[in-house]
Amino acid sequence: MKRLSHLSPDECVLLTAARLLDGRIVWRGQDGRWFDRVAQATCLTAEESAAALEEATAQAARQGVMGVYPVVARKGAPPQPVSMKEHIRAFGPTVHPEFSYAPQPEASS
Amino acid sequence: MKQPVGHYAYESRDREFLQERIAEFEDQVKRRLSGALSEEEFKPLRLMNGIYLQVHAYMLRVAIPYGILDSRQLRKLAHVAQRYDRGYGHFTTRQNIQFNWIALEDAPAILRDLAEADMHAIQTSGNCIRNITSDEYAGAARDELMDPRVHAEILRQWSTLHPEFTFLPRKFKIAISGSPEDRVAARFHDIGLLARPSENGPLFRVFVGGGLGRTPVVGQELFDSVPEAELLATLEATLRVYNAYGRRDNLYRARIKILVQTIGIEPFREAVKAELAKMDLSHYRLTPERVAAIRARFAAPELHAVDDADAVLAQHQKEDPDFARWVQSNTHPHFDEGYSIATVSLKTPGDIPGDVTAEQMDGLADIAERFAFSELRVTHLQNIVLGHVRKDQLYALWQGLKELNLAAPNIGLAGDIVSCPGLDYCTLANARSLPLARKLGARFGDARLQEEIGALSINISGCINACGHHHAGHIGILGVDKRGSEFYQILLGGQAGDHASIGAILGPALSEDDAVAAIARIIDHYLAHRNEQESFLEMVTRLGKAPFKEVAYETV
Ligand code: HEM
Ligand code: SF4
Repeated sequence: MKRLSHLSPDECVLLTAARLLDGRIVWRGQDGRWFDRVAQATCLTAEESAAALEEATAQAARQGVMGVYPVVARKGAPPQPVSMKEHIRAFGPTVHPEFSYAPQPEASS
Repeated sequence: MKQPVGHYAYESRDREFLQERIAEFEDQVKRRLSGALSEEEFKPLRLMNGIYLQVHAYMLRVAIPYGILDSRQLRKLAHVAQRYDRGYGHFTTRQNIQFNWIALEDAPAILRDLAEADMHAIQTSGNCIRNITSDEYAGAARDELMDPRVHAEILRQWSTLHPEFTFLPRKFKIAISGSPEDRVAARFHDIGLLARPSENGPLFRVFVGGGLGRTPVVGQELFDSVPEAELLATLEATLRVYNAYGRRDNLYRARIKILVQTIGIEPFREAVKAELAKMDLSHYRLTPERVAAIRARFAAPELHAVDDADAVLAQHQKEDPDFARWVQSNTHPHFDEGYSIATVSLKTPGDIPGDVTAEQMDGLADIAERFAFSELRVTHLQNIVLGHVRKDQLYALWQGLKELNLAAPNIGLAGDIVSCPGLDYCTLANARSLPLARKLGARFGDARLQEEIGALSINISGCINACGHHHAGHIGILGVDKRGSEFYQILLGGQAGDHASIGAILGPALSEDDAVAAIARIIDHYLAHRNEQESFLEMVTRLGKAPFKEVAYETV
């Protein structure tokens, strides 16, 4: 993954994880809650992300998520993860458009 | 209950065992959901029950022992796809099926539903002896010497939960064929077995140490003629040598192929013989009675060919050229003159190789019931075989397949692409493989073009683990990651079978569109310069990769 210390000005860090119950991909948003739309993810600076990651990891089990980690994304509504892997996680498999996680019209965070 | 054709009929104790396993797992899932078990504690438990955590959800891998299904089981899989997944399943190169969108809380209920049709997820994961694969034409092919499924079942029973072999250094894969033509890629398995009859009962040629993945290796012959009585002892001795010496310190070096390569086949053979000498052979002896008892639990189809089957078929072929083309590519000679083996292509141009919708599964179950004794076989090339179809009924069968959009006439041809799920679904991937499979499938989708190109296998993997067998494809494609972008390496000249070889990397990796264009140029070059009757692979073997490399990188 792209080093967090090399973010360009139009990039930010999102936190992501998998939901315990169904394995669905979730994104950390408002009030440290987890959402299944990337549009609801909070865009963090690299500095913010370190503390948020620590906090989120500590709360993961209680919040019913696992495997918390940071993702670099281009800012926007919704934010666009930079790597193809995270793009697929955010928007769904590219080969099954019917299963895409339709982007929210406006970020609600 | 009537015994299903082609596979082993479960006994009540098999069913009790499954129910116990499910109850145990249900309890483990409850403890995981309540937080009593952490993911680290739970992971090995779920893997033992075929549950992976993939990109978008949990994934369930269901075992299809030696690839054989009956209609009742396929309908059950359709039900699981419909009720718990997103209406489809994905058949894999290990003769299994995977569901990509499973919720953990549903897993015990799914396993219960599957158990109603004698299905389970055992031996689909973990460092055990995995689901044993077998020839998809078993018990039907004209060239077959003996039906390998009886011994596949014996091996399944021997290996399932074998106390010594549930914690091997790594997973262990066995394939068995009973035909002179190796249709199971025996030389690309940890152990590959080729069975043949003799005056004194069956003999087994044993290959060891083959595999793909990070270090592709063609298996070597360990023994030429192991008698039936000593089959289990020989396999057990081989596994013991591996278990004792195999490296556990480095995951990538822990497969038996690495051990055999490191110490050499001759010392390995001596070690197996030494182990055999220490064993009480009578304990492992497979007696003809024991084999007969297993064989008795396989029902054979009652074949009743009609006299004019050939004439009827010829008439249908004459009337309908599309059907004639399908017969040409998708059928194989049956031992009974009045019958054919039909392969249903799961590679409809532009679709995802190996994906089957719930409706298609139900439709295939109906078709198997009408035309093929309710028996289906999943192939290691992600297709489905109907073993025994009356020749005069092939036309009606084909029409049924057309309605299901499963009548692509491309078996063994350019459109019959093998692909792993790649980055779209797999957490280990470097690049996507399915979009490339689709683009190539569409590009070479035209039936006439495929016929002209002739035998050609294109295999695609999304990373070095090689689930898509890219080393074994005439044209192989490997997805690699270059600073966060997807690139594709092209390999040429791989093949499974009797002349197994590993494809050679052509040159630097290309972007997706460039890779598709390069492959198109490679095929054009073949068409323009081949000798008469020369297959693609023969031409690659004759000329080497240089001329193909030149055209592949022409404009890049
Ligand atoms: C999406 C979930 C999957 C994961 C996480 C996965 C993972 C792996 C890994 C890690 C290996 C290498 C293991 C080793 O060499 O020791 C492997 C090998 C293999 N996989 Fe998969 N795989 C997946 C799906 C599939 C599918 C869909 C297929 C069939 C189309 C498949 C067929 C194989 C085969 C045949 C090998 C053996 C290659 C060899 O001979 O070494 N896998 N897989
Ligand atoms: S080859 Fe790699 S990308 Fe493809 S399924 Fe296997 S592990 Fe995943």
